[in-house]
Amino acid sequence: MGSELLERRAVISGVGQSAIGRQIDRSGFQLTLDAITAAVADAGLTLDDIDGLAMFPGGGTGNVPGYGGADIYEVQDALRLTTTWRQGQVEGMSLPFYAPAMAVATGQARHVVIFRTVKEGSAARNAGGRPAYGSTKPAAEGPLAWLLPIGALSPVVQVAPFATRYQHVHGVTREQLAWIPLTQRTHAARNPDAVYRDPLTLDDYLAARMISTPICLYDCDVPVDGATAIVVSAVQTAPDLRAPVAIEAMAGVTDGRPSWDQWDDLARVGCATADAMWARTDLRPADVDVAQLYDGFTIEVVWWLEALGFCGPGEAGAFVDGGTRIDLGGELPVNTWGGQLSGGRLHAAFGHTVEAVRQLRGEADGRQVAGAEVAVVTNVGGYESGAALLTTMSR
Amino acid sequence: VTEETQPFWDAAATGRLLVERCSACAAESFPPRGICRTCRSRDVALVEIAGPGHVYSFTVNHQRWLPDLEVPFTIVLVEFADHPGVRVAGRLRGCAPEDVAVDLPVEVGFEPGPGGCSIPSFVAAGAAS
Repeated sequence: MGSELLERRAVISGVGQSAIGRQIDRSGFQLTLDAITAAVADAGLTLDDIDGLAMFPGGGTGNVPGYGGADIYEVQDALRLTTTWRQGQVEGMSLPFYAPAMAVATGQARHVVIFRTVKEGSAARNAGGRPAYGSTKPAAEGPLAWLLPIGALSPVVQVAPFATRYQHVHGVTREQLAWIPLTQRTHAARNPDAVYRDPLTLDDYLAARMISTPICLYDCDVPVDGATAIVVSAVQTAPDLRAPVAIEAMAGVTDGRPSWDQWDDLARVGCATADAMWARTDLRPADVDVAQLYDGFTIEVVWWLEALGFCGPGEAGAFVDGGTRIDLGGELPVNTWGGQLSGGRLHAAFGHTVEAVRQLRGEADGRQVAGAEVAVVTNVGGYESGAALLTTMSR
Repeated sequence: VTEETQPFWDAAATGRLLVERCSACAAESFPPRGICRTCRSRDVALVEIAGPGHVYSFTVNHQRWLPDLEVPFTIVLVEFADHPGVRVAGRLRGCAPEDVAVDLPVEVGFEPGPGGCSIPSFVAAGAAS
C-alpha cells in the first residue's frame, strides 16, 4: 500500500501555539496571530509561502461563548496573504489536517495553515464561573432538538449516558477509568504549557463533585484560552521544510445515527473510523509508539483504545488500571501533554496533533517517548470522528 | 420546535407520545423524518405509542447549567420492547437519583418544560405519577 494514497502526498510541516491558560488577557485574534506566526516559523517557512487557510469552526465565531476567536478573512487581511484555497470546517473536520492534506495533495495549495482559537476559559469566568457551554443555544433543532428541551444542556450531559451504558455492559468501574485522568495529570506535570500540573490522586478523583453521573469534574476537559496553528505542506516541498512529519493514513467515517441520543450502541464508538484508518496502512496497533486520543471526557479515551484495537471491547478498564501501560515508558503512552483533561481544551484534536508532531520529531522536552516513530491521533468520537497515523519521514 | 417537530410537541401537550411508523414495512422510528429509515418509503404516519418502556441508559445531572435550572434531575434514554427502533430521551420521575438503573421499567409521561411546551417525562413503574 503506498504513495497513491492522497495523505502520502502531504506532510505536517509546522505546529505553533499561543500562550495557553485559564484566562489569557489577549484577544482571540491576537492569540491566533501568535499561533500562526509560530507555526510558520516552526515549519521553516515564511508567511509569504502560505497560500491556503483553514479553520475550525467555519464562519467565524460559533454561537457558544469563547468557542471561536478569529475570522478567516480577518486573518488573511492581517497577515497580508494571498490564498488559493480556504475552508471553514465543522462537518468534515474529522481531523484538523484532513481537508488541508487533500488541498495540498491535489495541488490547490502548497502550504496551508489551519488554526483553532478558543476563549472558553474567559467565557466561563464571564458567566460567573459557571460553564457557559450550552447556555446560549437558540431554539432546539438539528441533532440537539430532543436533548436541549429536557435539560441535557451540555456535552457532559449528552455524553454521560454513553459512560453509564459502557460501565453497565462491561462491569467497568470509575476506580479503573480514573487512571486516565490521573495518568494524564502526571504527564501534564512534565509539560510547562499544561494548565493543571499539580498531582491528582485517586482519592481526589473519587471525592470530586459529580457533574452528570458517572462523569465527575476530573472526567471533563478544561475550558481555556489559547490558539493552535498547524501547517500542512505538499510532500514535494519537504526539502524546504525544517522537520516535516509524514501522514501514513487518515480517515473520518460517520456511520449509524449521527446524534447523541440515537447512536445505536452507546458502549462502542469510533469503530468505523478506526477500521477505515487501519485499511489504509500496513502498520498495526502494536506498531504505535504513542497515542494522542481525543479526551473531551475520560470515556472518549476508552472509546478510542477499544476502537483502534489497543485492547478488546470492555477491556479498557483493565488496560488503564494503575496507569502503568499509558504512562511514559509504558507500552502505549497516552496524551503525553496532559490531554485536554489537564493540558486544556484546545479542541478538535489541535492540541493532540501538536503533541504527536513534537513526539515524532523528538522535540517533546521533558516528556519524550524514546524513539517514537509512529503516533496515532484521534478526534472526538460519536458521530463526527477522525483518526490518523503520523510517522517520522524516514520510517 | 420547528415545522417538522410541531406535531410531536402538539401531541405531547395532550400527553401522547408520537413516533413514525412506515405504512410499507411497518418499521417504527424516532424522531419523525417523513421517510422510513428502514425501507426509505415516504409513506409514513405518526402513531401514538404507550408503555411499558425500559431505561436503555441514563445520567443524573447535578450541574446548574442555567441560573433557574433545578438540580439534580435524571435524564433517561428509553426503549420499548414492543417498538423496536424507537428510543426517546426524557426526564425521569418517581425514582430517587441513586435508584435509577439500566433496564428500569417506565411508563410514558410528560411534564411542563421550557417555553410552555410539554417534555417527555417518564415515570418509574409502580410510582405514583
